[in-house]
Amino acid sequence: MKSIRRVQGLITAMLLIFLAAFAFLVYKLQTEAGFYISNASKISMGFIYDRNGDVLFDADADAQIYGSDYFIDIGNLIGDNSRQMSNTLAGKNIGMLANFSFMLGEQENGQASIHCTLDHKVNRDVYDAFGKKNGCAVAYNYLTGEIYLCLSKPSVNILNHYEDLDSLETGSLLCKVFYPTVPGSTQKISTTLAALESMGYDNLISKSYDCSGVYTNLDGKDIRCHLESGHGTQNITEAFANSCNPFFAQLVEDPALPLYDIEKTYEKMGYLVNGKGNQNYLDINGISAFTASTSLKSKTDFNTQWGCMGQGETLVSPLQLMVWQSAIANGTGIATNPYLISYATKVSGKVTAQAETSYSSQMFSEISAGYMKEIMLDNGRKNYASLLPGTDVGVKSGTAQVENGNKENSLLTGFVDDPGFPIAFCIQIDDRVKGEVSTSDIAKVMLQNLYESFYPSENEAS
Amino acid sequence: MYKNRLSYSGAVILLFLTHLSMLGLVFIRGSIAAPMDFLKLTGAVIGLDIGYLLITLWYKQMTYTLDFMLLCILNISLIFQSCFGGIHLSVKHLISCVMCLAACEAGFLLTRNHEWIRKNKKYIYILIFILFISIIFFTDNQKKWITIGSFSIQPSEFIKPCFILVCAASIVELHEKLKIAFFYISKDSLTLCIVALFIFALQWWCHDLGSLPTFGMIFLCALFCRFCYPKAKISKRVVAIVCAAGVLVLIAAWNLAPDYVQKRLHVDIWADRYGDGYQQCEALIGIAKGGWLGLGAGNGSLYKIFAHDSDIVFATICEEWGLLYAALTIMLILIMLMTVLMNPPKNYYHAMMTAGVTAAFLMQMSLNIFGSCNLIPFTGVTLPFISAGGSSMMSCGFLVGMLKAGQSPLFQHEVMKRKRQKQRQKARKAAQKQQRRSAA
Repeated sequence: MKSIRRVQGLITAMLLIFLAAFAFLVYKLQTEAGFYISNASKISMGFIYDRNGDVLFDADADAQIYGSDYFIDIGNLIGDNSRQMSNTLAGKNIGMLANFSFMLGEQENGQASIHCTLDHKVNRDVYDAFGKKNGCAVAYNYLTGEIYLCLSKPSVNILNHYEDLDSLETGSLLCKVFYPTVPGSTQKISTTLAALESMGYDNLISKSYDCSGVYTNLDGKDIRCHLESGHGTQNITEAFANSCNPFFAQLVEDPALPLYDIEKTYEKMGYLVNGKGNQNYLDINGISAFTASTSLKSKTDFNTQWGCMGQGETLVSPLQLMVWQSAIANGTGIATNPYLISYATKVSGKVTAQAETSYSSQMFSEISAGYMKEIMLDNGRKNYASLLPGTDVGVKSGTAQVENGNKENSLLTGFVDDPGFPIAFCIQIDDRVKGEVSTSDIAKVMLQNLYESFYPSENEAS
Repeated sequence: MYKNRLSYSGAVILLFLTHLSMLGLVFIRGSIAAPMDFLKLTGAVIGLDIGYLLITLWYKQMTYTLDFMLLCILNISLIFQSCFGGIHLSVKHLISCVMCLAACEAGFLLTRNHEWIRKNKKYIYILIFILFISIIFFTDNQKKWITIGSFSIQPSEFIKPCFILVCAASIVELHEKLKIAFFYISKDSLTLCIVALFIFALQWWCHDLGSLPTFGMIFLCALFCRFCYPKAKISKRVVAIVCAAGVLVLIAAWNLAPDYVQKRLHVDIWADRYGDGYQQCEALIGIAKGGWLGLGAGNGSLYKIFAHDSDIVFATICEEWGLLYAALTIMLILIMLMTVLMNPPKNYYHAMMTAGVTAAFLMQMSLNIFGSCNLIPFTGVTLPFISAGGSSMMSCGFLVGMLKAGQSPLFQHEVMKRKRQKQRQKARKAAQKQQRRSAA
């Protein structure tokens, strides 16, 4: 009889497992019903609002209500419910917007909505600041994780309902903030951090290398500096501010900085090094943002050295560049994870999905973060003092050669060293040529507008 | 004694109330185009209820719980199937239901005497062999169906009950062991493994990989029961080897699965909504539309989707009748399986048999429900008793008959044998006592 009892136990266990799975299914169906139904047909949809209550998404939007280009700056970020763009805030959270409940069905007057952290006015101002140039920009609060602005140009006017799809510029349907790009000299932040982690500040600052405009590396290949006459002998702070390529090539070659240490620091920062591991993604409320990848072969290898200076096979998303700034700016080596949804409301009006600040794992030590912050602030004081007068801004610029060197993208990433105005940012201008709008011009507009948004009364008074 | 839990009259009332309330719902919320269609459906449902009850009254049996539950589920299924896309009696499904009831009785009669079936197990092997041959030589291009006139038969469905019986037989007869290499293996276990291997290979060859997990589950259940069986005395080493082999086979199967299976294993249904994810997306949308209480019988739109009455039938029911009704129907099937716990089998053969039946039903239900709702890869198997398909219905009926047989009492000759054994033991003890006394 004991054996029969055991078999009965087995039957009971099977039944219980099935029941548990079925209960889970019922729960899943009930919670995800809004998403399913929003894929079906036209259904009453809620709105997406910015932090000031401006509408960012309206399923029934038309030009007469909002103006013909009201949504242009957020077209490829917020998206719509047409499914033309999938990696967008509306696309990924369409279930939250459906005025539908499993219990009551469709509710014409439902209160489903998403409240976003974006500031539409600032977003638009920065978008306009790009003028005729294309590019992208992103900024967030490095203490809380709220993304205040996120834009990518060229964008798509969703009010045109994709009728002009064929005439759209390449890249209009995706927000470049989340996609990989050649980082240029902004990569020197990561390399400097790797050097700080491996050698320590005292050893690093004691190192000085000569730049005569061109450096022939140990493999016999030339690394050219952007300053043909050269920078002379420099230490890390000077070389970082000068963005000196020969200095960084010699630093990577230095026996005191093992390549293994660079790899380890890069990996901790989220890089996919030499294709090892899985492609990492940063998840911004469902939006997948690609993170960094690079290839490091040997210390004397030409491509490896350029990889450590942001060329070669190194790719980083502007969002990732911005997130690293938070780990430096807050001095902990731990980044604050960015988010776009502040909270959402259900059909019934009940608040749900309330955002909470979350953090990454330790990317680098607090000591390294502190010294890196000083190096960046020093660069900001020397070269970018006009970005936000009266406030220290840590900055690194970069010029990235793309399309086989035919075009150059300009990048600027940094942070504001003010706990009352804790902004980290990244700006990219595509195919920039001298004399056109620069990343620092856009940074000025961005920081000034954000500051006004932070302290409106102060600005009104002035 | 049997525990029926509910009086006969109570069961009859409950049965009729269930079906009448459903027909009432069809009348109130359903889309009845022609009243005659509704009357035909009502007539068929009530007729089947009364007809089967009269037949069961005719020959006395000790239990009625399973019969009532099966009848209840079948008529619910008939109502569901007759309402997809409008009210019309599904005569084909009515015939399937009748065949299911007949198969249930056949299953019961054939398997209630475990000694008899054990003695005649060679016929089960022969039957499996015939089914193999029929699949290899007589099926259509898809290697699944044998078509005779307007009827199609799926032979692999009938292998399920046979396989369960083979599993049960192999567990009970563990005593004769052969030494092969370093292992002592019972003859029946070896036969079971060979049969299982053939079945898996055949399913793979037929591209009928949807049924593979069901057979796998039955086999796994048999393996587990073998470990449970005290007389088996299986070492931990053997258990570890078997588990490792199982894991290796699973990994190999996962990696070697054909392209269309790989696609299903990894498909993001919403990204491929109009491709490989079409049925599941439509099913989930249908469930959402139906909500808890449904759109009303015949008011759904899933009937336009391929396999709405078989592979995604759970979703079609949810859309028209609501998740509540669909869940209650599933609960009813589960309660039917639970009757084994109320009336435990009296011998290990029947215990193993009922475990195999439960495993088969649960696995098939899981594949259908969770597969169509995108919790697991979509395999396209039928939902027992609910999906359309005569072969599946007959197989399910036979399995319920086996479940009923598993709850049957010991046969008279067994009872007598045990009594005689007890009497002999008593007499021996008495004789020993007397010997001791006389010695003292």
